Amino acid sequence: MASGNSILQIDDINLAFGGVTALNGISFDVAEGEICAVIGPNGAGKSSMLNVINGVYVPQSGRVIFRGQDCTQMRPRQIAKLGMARTFQNIGLFQGMTVLENILTGRSLKIRSTWIEQGLNIGRARREEVENRALVEEVIEFLHLQSIRKTPVGKLPYGLQKRVELARALVAEPTLLLQDEPMTGMNLEEKKDMSCFALEINREYGTTIVLIEHDMSVVMDISDHVVVLDYGAKIGDGTPDEVKNNQEVIDAYLGVTH
Amino acid sequence: MIYRETGTFSTSYIEDRKLFPIPFDKWAMGVFLLFMVFVVPLIASDYWLAAHLIPILAYGCAALGLNLLTGMTGQLSLGTAGFMCFGAFFTFNIMLRSPEWMNLPLAMVLAGSVTGVIGVIFGLPSIRIKGFYLLVSTLAAQYFALWFFRSYPYFLNYATATVTLPDHHFDLFGIGDAFGVDMASFEAKYLLSLGIVCALALFAKNLMRSSTGRNFMAVRDMDIAASVIGIPVIRTKMLAFFVSCFYCGVGGALFCYAYLQVLGIRTFEMNRSFEILFMVIIGGLGSIAGSFYGTVLVYEFPILFSWAGDYLLGGAFDTAVVDNVAKILYGILIIALLIREPGGLAALWLTAKQKLRTWPFPH
Repeated sequence: MASGNSILQIDDINLAFGGVTALNGISFDVAEGEICAVIGPNGAGKSSMLNVINGVYVPQSGRVIFRGQDCTQMRPRQIAKLGMARTFQNIGLFQGMTVLENILTGRSLKIRSTWIEQGLNIGRARREEVENRALVEEVIEFLHLQSIRKTPVGKLPYGLQKRVELARALVAEPTLLLQDEPMTGMNLEEKKDMSCFALEINREYGTTIVLIEHDMSVVMDISDHVVVLDYGAKIGDGTPDEVKNNQEVIDAYLGVTH
Repeated sequence: MIYRETGTFSTSYIEDRKLFPIPFDKWAMGVFLLFMVFVVPLIASDYWLAAHLIPILAYGCAALGLNLLTGMTGQLSLGTAGFMCFGAFFTFNIMLRSPEWMNLPLAMVLAGSVTGVIGVIFGLPSIRIKGFYLLVSTLAAQYFALWFFRSYPYFLNYATATVTLPDHHFDLFGIGDAFGVDMASFEAKYLLSLGIVCALALFAKNLMRSSTGRNFMAVRDMDIAASVIGIPVIRTKMLAFFVSCFYCGVGGALFCYAYLQVLGIRTFEMNRSFEILFMVIIGGLGSIAGSFYGTVLVYEFPILFSWAGDYLLGGAFDTAVVDNVAKILYGILIIALLIREPGGLAALWLTAKQKLRTWPFPH
């Protein structure tokens, strides 16, 4: 699916929390339309990497370039406006709201009506609600969430919550989707579903996906490009096959005898 | 079964988004409102209007305001009475110092807006602090309001303690003279309060089922996730403070104009803030109808208990003792309610509805 143009360029990112170095000179490119997996042992800095990409953390040095724009210093909201959406490792859903309301929040960037119009429920506000609902329903159908749309998310099992979170990210119509461990804690069936969804999103909408995942069989199956981090440094970068045979990567995962 | 939900299907998103998707609810609400508008002013005595219905409406308005802020957006506040104070004083001053065409509802909207802006200023700490710390910082609003109006007697028209609000402030566009109606009667005040509170409740309901309301709840539930999906967190918090304080301001104006008929600083002491906070918690945080359930319970139960006490034991014991026992019983009732149902009366109502739905075969 990759077209060769890079949509996201990570250039020499350094991030430290106090004295702890989380990311040490990381650089890699994500090509438009590809599925890029970021892997690495626990504490390698994968989630930090994602947080730097979408502006939750600001790195001490280095640049993040998304669709030709330097967004290193931007706030998460500005980056979301550029067309980036993400899901969280330990679920970032709004627990007091229903599935439908949660997914609708994903559309908030597209709302044009003011709060006064919404309070009076007139014209534009009313029209937008219906339009957004129609779009949300498409995604609900795509991810098979029809039967639970009015359920409060807090009552749903973990696997479904992850799927609702994916739906919320998708309704923003992102060009780049970041997924932080979308399949952790899922059984085989659910993992299969989530992998299929990722592939379908990638093919149907042409969305570029960057995902963090621990399940190697999933990573090797669905990704076009794999980046391996260990202790905050990049130790591998290439196609799944290249990475699989990279000695440094094997050492990081299996350990080496000293 | 009178109450039926089955058989109602939405065939479009507009229908699915209706305020009352179930026809029975719609009819019940309609009948209730018609009763409140046409029947109540005819049958209720001045005592019932002046000492029960009007204060409930005024308290309800302020409670709704606090619920929008605390229940919906998750920003704790103890400044409620302070904001009511601003609303009441500004309404009085606008009425006092404006030309002839000014009328009470417009003055309340203007005063509410100014109160909203003041609310935003006192809400600024919420950008950085949360929870109990914010609660403490909103106390500043409470004390500032009292200090401000004590320091500048201009706003009380240089009266010593209280001002009696003049009847002619109630006249709307000369309707009173034209039709020979007494616009300052309790019936008129009641209808004015009812109209304003219904309009504001409807506005709040619309707000909560649209994007702004979802943004409020998103900020309450998880502000980091909210900012990542593009919700402007700070702006949403400030808007919540504005809208909330607008409601509190209007509530304060109603409290003085329609209920007490005098304006004074002592009305808006700290304990009023607590009272409204209890109404919101007992009614149900995050529920618009709950704000009114809570208001009715907190306002009426102490009266009911003391009546019952007087009626049952009045002859045998001293009135003061009976009153205190009634207060204790009322306190126990509140504690029991909150242990049994932390979601308040609104949640209790939903549970009851669910039970009735499956009755008599709950499994």
